[in-house]
Amino acid sequence: MEKYLQQVGKKVDSAELFKVKSKTVPVNFEVNRLKSIDISESEGKALRVINQGRIGFSSFTGSEDFDLMVEKAVATSEFGVKASFDFPEKIEGGKKEKVIVYDEKVVDKSIEEMVKVGENIIERVKDFNPKLRCDVTILKDYSEVEYANSRGGSFSYNKTAIVYSMMVQQIEDQDMLMIYSSLESGEDKLNTEELVSEIMENIKWGEKIVPINNGKMPAIFTPKAALTLILPVIRGLNGRMVWEKISPLANQKNKKLWSQLLTLYNDGTIDFALGSAPFDDEGVEMKKYPLVEKGEIKNFYYDLQTAGMAGVESTGNGLRAGIQSEPAPTLNNLIMEEGTVSFSEMIEDIKEGIIIDQVLGLGQGNIISGAFSNNVQLGYKIENGKIIGRVKDVMIAGNAIEELKNIIALGDKSRWISGKYKFPHIYLKSLTVSTKGN
Amino acid sequence: MMREIFEKVLKNKKDKADYIEIRAEKKEFTTIHFQGEKLEKINCSQQIGGDVRALVKGGWGFISFNQFDNLEEKVSEAIEVARLIGKEESRLAVNSPVVEIIKQDLDKDFRQISLREKKELVGNYNNIIMNFSPQIQSSKVIYTDKFSTIYFANSEGSYIEQEKPFLSVSFTAIARKGDNVQIANESIGTTKGFEIIEKISPKAQRAASRAVNLLRAESVEGGEYTVILDQILGGVFIHEAFGHLSEADFLYEDERMSGLMKLGKKFGSPKLNVVDDGSIPNLLGSAKYDDEGIRTRKNYLIKDGILVGRLHSRETAAKMGEEPTGNARALNYRFKPIVRMTNTYIENGDTPFEDLLSGIKKGIYAKDCYGGMTTFEMFTFSAGEGYMIRDGKIAEPVKDVVLSGNLFTTLLNIEGVGNDLKMIESSGGCGKSGQGPLPVSFGSPHLRIKKVVVGGK
Repeated sequence: MEKYLQQVGKKVDSAELFKVKSKTVPVNFEVNRLKSIDISESEGKALRVINQGRIGFSSFTGSEDFDLMVEKAVATSEFGVKASFDFPEKIEGGKKEKVIVYDEKVVDKSIEEMVKVGENIIERVKDFNPKLRCDVTILKDYSEVEYANSRGGSFSYNKTAIVYSMMVQQIEDQDMLMIYSSLESGEDKLNTEELVSEIMENIKWGEKIVPINNGKMPAIFTPKAALTLILPVIRGLNGRMVWEKISPLANQKNKKLWSQLLTLYNDGTIDFALGSAPFDDEGVEMKKYPLVEKGEIKNFYYDLQTAGMAGVESTGNGLRAGIQSEPAPTLNNLIMEEGTVSFSEMIEDIKEGIIIDQVLGLGQGNIISGAFSNNVQLGYKIENGKIIGRVKDVMIAGNAIEELKNIIALGDKSRWISGKYKFPHIYLKSLTVSTKGN
Repeated sequence: MMREIFEKVLKNKKDKADYIEIRAEKKEFTTIHFQGEKLEKINCSQQIGGDVRALVKGGWGFISFNQFDNLEEKVSEAIEVARLIGKEESRLAVNSPVVEIIKQDLDKDFRQISLREKKELVGNYNNIIMNFSPQIQSSKVIYTDKFSTIYFANSEGSYIEQEKPFLSVSFTAIARKGDNVQIANESIGTTKGFEIIEKISPKAQRAASRAVNLLRAESVEGGEYTVILDQILGGVFIHEAFGHLSEADFLYEDERMSGLMKLGKKFGSPKLNVVDDGSIPNLLGSAKYDDEGIRTRKNYLIKDGILVGRLHSRETAAKMGEEPTGNARALNYRFKPIVRMTNTYIENGDTPFEDLLSGIKKGIYAKDCYGGMTTFEMFTFSAGEGYMIRDGKIAEPVKDVVLSGNLFTTLLNIEGVGNDLKMIESSGGCGKSGQGPLPVSFGSPHLRIKKVVVGGK
């Protein structure tokens, strides 16, 4: 890589080369049986240059035509944005990996073993209720990341991931109950039982369909549904959105905006979390730092370019959405601090309310404004401190930035979602619920 | 050259599996992305990749890759994996081998246009949005062009090369007044040449004016309404809510699902006709052959309100004892072909727009779309623009209009079908099983639907 960079370094001010090689093996079960194994091997390179002060970019997969790649990157730099940073000369800790993101056992896990895990999950579900349809994916992923720039900075690391995900479906007449859940980790240490027992509990709660009234009522968002409320915050704290003043949170730093209970961290240093790595995709160390502390916004998150424009330091959040994308501000892992109230205590506290576990249309609509409006794909009604059944044809709506002011309690047990978010249950004082036939 | 490589490997491996196919894709693309006043990103990239799919005793093995050095090894790996899965008899609808090379001639080939010219055109559109009003806070204009060549060969002797151009521009306008931030989108997608996007300033203007207008709109009051959908939303509805249920891969192994989608069942009033047709020339979902080498065609899904057909791959067709429909599509070489829609639409009815409005005391006219999603029978989609209908007339604008419901009841609740079908080609596409955005088009005349649940305050 260094050889390539020396070559291109002569033509431009500076350059960086980012390379990823990966192999993903998902074992898919559909309708209770082994259905497919779709292996994906990929290899790609992305070249970013700063040429006469402007950024140029190109990416390639497959071919080794480095000259053409340089030519395209230089061509785009003519119109590129003005670089407000330079590539890091020294990448600290490049040799010693502080955070652990690689488990050889994942790489060595055989397809046969993965098939057994899936079969085991399906057996458990069948024992519980043979009429359920169950889809399962057991996936492993291994990648090698390499980075070097013409100013001498370089790093490399290997990373693994393993995912167990499942979807259970029960169809009766025109009613379909669908419950999904998944576990993710960088370490081959996932617990099947945890996954299956959660789903079974949900099925029991959902056996009966019950009516619910229109209007405002207390609501509990499970960790699985918490993103409904948190997505607008994630978008609003993005340094890019802040710099452009699109974010309604842009002027709210160090002001008390939300409930005292709300504390959110960006943390890329947690061993085996999927969003962790020693460095972000442009050589800045990943860190743990608060985004929101006791309801006050403490930090926005930045990549190098956005940080340069805003006149601040990169927070180690420059990640690439794929080999063909330039780094952009992206959270590493997002951790919400736990509260002190258990899920069952929350339920007991509610006379009439709703539990939201799965929503349709997440991220749809005008997220940055905080507005959300979702179909409750899986939700339960609480009456007199007890879950009495599942609700259907129900919409929830509100503004997340407002709703987060009215948190009554946070759960005392948080759960990883998608391997990079960790949320507890969120108990809101009131939420607007609308339903059919008002 | 590809043909020789593929055929040699297939010849050596043919006997080891019931069926093998190899695909390769070469594509080059350009992205130009303006945000706010600035050029945010400009990017030229190239990808070469391929995949192998093998069928052994009913089980599929699939591998995708960027390195072609050991193609024969990849085929072996796919076969090995297929053996793990295969436990029954392989069944594929019969298809006679095809050998054909399909070139796509463009009036104005975007590969010949300089990066400077593209950038200037897109920059002009961006300026239109930014200069529209002081209330415009920011913009996003994304230009993408992509030229792919797909090489396909299978162990039955088919060899097809198809060129697939794709060009799109999307406009986002962000308007702000105090804490009130509103967004509007417009976009265009096409398989034709650069000329299509040379004169689309009105779209940029429309995005800006819609965002500014939304600043004045009140949030809609949640509840149940009679709703009129415009051609875009009608198209999204038929694609998202109904179209996906017509995809046979959801049905063929699931008795209960196939029970719900039984042919001959009444789905709507006799005025309702729904079609998926990949053979219409030059629409976003069009191709002469699908990604299994099956000729595309016009397929009726609902005729006179009755369910009459569904969409198939070779496998689902064989398993359900029906004919393949040319709907097996792969997003790119990273994915195997699965059952997908192409160009899906509701055929014209005979009710003029004004007549659809008449008699609605309090309803909603919902236009355009932010996005939609379905899980089997439940659907939800957000309108990009909305108006109250009061006493048969379009009244004040409303925002945050999210429609939701049960597909089966909603289809039966369509009480009026307009006579103004329009096919929509946008920059987005369809997502399914992680494969998205796949270019598709959809369309509909204006529709009037009773008893739709709208979320809101």
